[in-house]
Amino acid sequence: MSTPKDPNSKYDLSKISARVDKVNVSGLQRTHDDYVMRAADGLFKASNFQEMMLEAMAAKSYLHELGIFKDVSVHIDISRGADATPQGYEVTLKGKEFTRIMGSAGTEIGQNEGSLRTELTIPNILGRGESISLQGSYSSTRANDLQLKFWKPFFHTRFRENRPEASFSLFRQTDRYDISSFQTTNLGYLLDFSAHTMLGVDLTHSLQYENSIRDLSLLNKSVPFGIRDHCGPKLASLVRYSLIFDNRDASVFPTRGLLLKSVNEYCGLGGNVAYTSSTAHGEVNVPLFAGLVAQFCGRVGVVKETKKTTVLPISNLFYCGGPLTLRGFKYGSAGPVIDGTPIGAQTFWCTGAHLWTPLPFAGVFKGLASHFRMHFFYNMGNSNSFSMENMRSAYGIGLAVKLAERARIELNYCVPLQKQATDKVTNGFQFGIGYEFV
Amino acid sequence: MQTSQYLNQLHTADKLSEEPWPEDATLYQPFEAEQILLPESASCLAVKAYLKMCNLPFGIRTCANAEHMSPGGRMTKLPFIRAGAFLFAEFEPIVNFVEQKDMAIGSWQDEDEKADMRTYVSLVENIFTMAELYVSFKNERVYKEVTAPRNGAVYPWPLNVIQNYSKRRNALRQLKVYQWHDLDIDQVIDKVAKCCETLEYKLKESPDTPFFFGDQPCELDAIAFGHLFTILTTRLPNMALAQTVQKFGHLVSFCRFIDEKYFQMRCLQE
Repeated sequence: MSTPKDPNSKYDLSKISARVDKVNVSGLQRTHDDYVMRAADGLFKASNFQEMMLEAMAAKSYLHELGIFKDVSVHIDISRGADATPQGYEVTLKGKEFTRIMGSAGTEIGQNEGSLRTELTIPNILGRGESISLQGSYSSTRANDLQLKFWKPFFHTRFRENRPEASFSLFRQTDRYDISSFQTTNLGYLLDFSAHTMLGVDLTHSLQYENSIRDLSLLNKSVPFGIRDHCGPKLASLVRYSLIFDNRDASVFPTRGLLLKSVNEYCGLGGNVAYTSSTAHGEVNVPLFAGLVAQFCGRVGVVKETKKTTVLPISNLFYCGGPLTLRGFKYGSAGPVIDGTPIGAQTFWCTGAHLWTPLPFAGVFKGLASHFRMHFFYNMGNSNSFSMENMRSAYGIGLAVKLAERARIELNYCVPLQKQATDKVTNGFQFGIGYEFV
Repeated sequence: MQTSQYLNQLHTADKLSEEPWPEDATLYQPFEAEQILLPESASCLAVKAYLKMCNLPFGIRTCANAEHMSPGGRMTKLPFIRAGAFLFAEFEPIVNFVEQKDMAIGSWQDEDEKADMRTYVSLVENIFTMAELYVSFKNERVYKEVTAPRNGAVYPWPLNVIQNYSKRRNALRQLKVYQWHDLDIDQVIDKVAKCCETLEYKLKESPDTPFFFGDQPCELDAIAFGHLFTILTTRLPNMALAQTVQKFGHLVSFCRFIDEKYFQMRCLQE
């Protein structure tokens, strides 16, 4: 008998007492038993029919998260057999494990870039949800990434609510800095551990250790000597800690909530590159009347030398300006310039104030219109200086489109207000695509 | 933006001969004491000798990543010189650059002599650079005891292992291209000896002048000095090259003469 539906409200399911005698989990071939045992915990605690049904649903979604089953179905039957109790039920969770190897191909959206990604995964390789995956991607700004990743979740331990995960990956990625005419090829490995903590607020933590060889090379022949000076391979050994607090009601067009994100890097545990880098990004959304939302965003980045620093790596400097930070300026054009070539800055800050409105006549095209918004914005920011004198700013109006719940496309009409002599502005329409905007 | 950069370069190239030699011209090379290898050292010394003979001032900057900063070249890619906005690497391109400024030595030579000298220069550069590469990279003992530790001295482990591996692979590939890879050490010594013989013969042609061509220095003097002096004064586990050059007394005294006149390094024993 499959899951009974709730036929009519005459029957109050919470009044029907029930007891779960047995929980069967079938379909496990290579998964270890202890990995799925926690699925049964909640079920045994159920004392009435409604609780049992809710726990059965929770068990089903838990099994899905473990990353071992493609499909899970729940069957509830009365318990039979010698040690069956009256009002006893037997719950069977039938799962269909993932095949030995899975492949996927698709597109991915990054910050002002799009990429093609293919992935080959061997899921549940050791029986407890671990997976090995080989990912390759090709994009407009980062050509030919390759990554071999071993991922292990710890969802079956007693820290299940904290969702701890660990991963080890070997990677080779190329970052192109087209406006500064150089590129870095990074080859190395990365150890990652992430978890949530729920002490008062829900925070996501991630601690990473990266050891990589960074090889800087030039993209054309006539590059200023200040950039040519940085060519060659270097060994970087660094620790990265990031913290995210996100209680917004949606990622793309939130109406209320707060997002705080901070990434901190300390590089210098060995190797010959040393620096510390911190970035923080914040977003506050305040709902107003009639579907209007006021949003304030801010971003700050600081790169500092440490005692071991010989020279700050040019690839870790911050680029200010562009459709994702200071609208109205070309990418990276609101910062220092060497011999006509823009390079990144050691510190930068950027803030934005937005007024989001639904499209006019949104009521007419209900479904489609929810993917669009209009906004009035005012951005201001600066590089290498935290004062408001000589800052850059721009205002304008734009149209934004939601893309797949993660990213947003913006088409803005920008009017730069304050700029410096070496800046490159786009006075007029500017297009941007990404998932984190200021 | 790309096309305007090229147009800019063409425009400045036209003005090349009009601009004087800059005061702050700089020569970039790897660290002398810990890093530089035999073929690179010879090339650097040849360029330094040439610039001194032309009486052009230059500064020297040693950095660990000189090889990667270099705009590129046929063999060692080093040294490279930065004069104003221009960058040139290796002996021949630098000589061409200096000649365009009408400040070069050898302008007293006529066309025939110049062509003759060019063939000698080409011969010297090819034979000696290949021989130096062979000894540094193909000879196991020299590679393990000298080349690998020196080349990897500026990188932390394991970057030095990877860099050595890739540099050795490139060097062996170059040897293959010039068809030196399959020779054994005796054949290499043979080639070097023949080249030295040719040079000594040329030197003896004008016995009362210390230089190769007449009583003024020219490119051949610079490059011959660079390679011969470096081979004679670099200590390696395998001294086959040095022993070969030692046999040619005239070449040794030529090196001593150039050293005395321009460098005063005084490393050549009697």
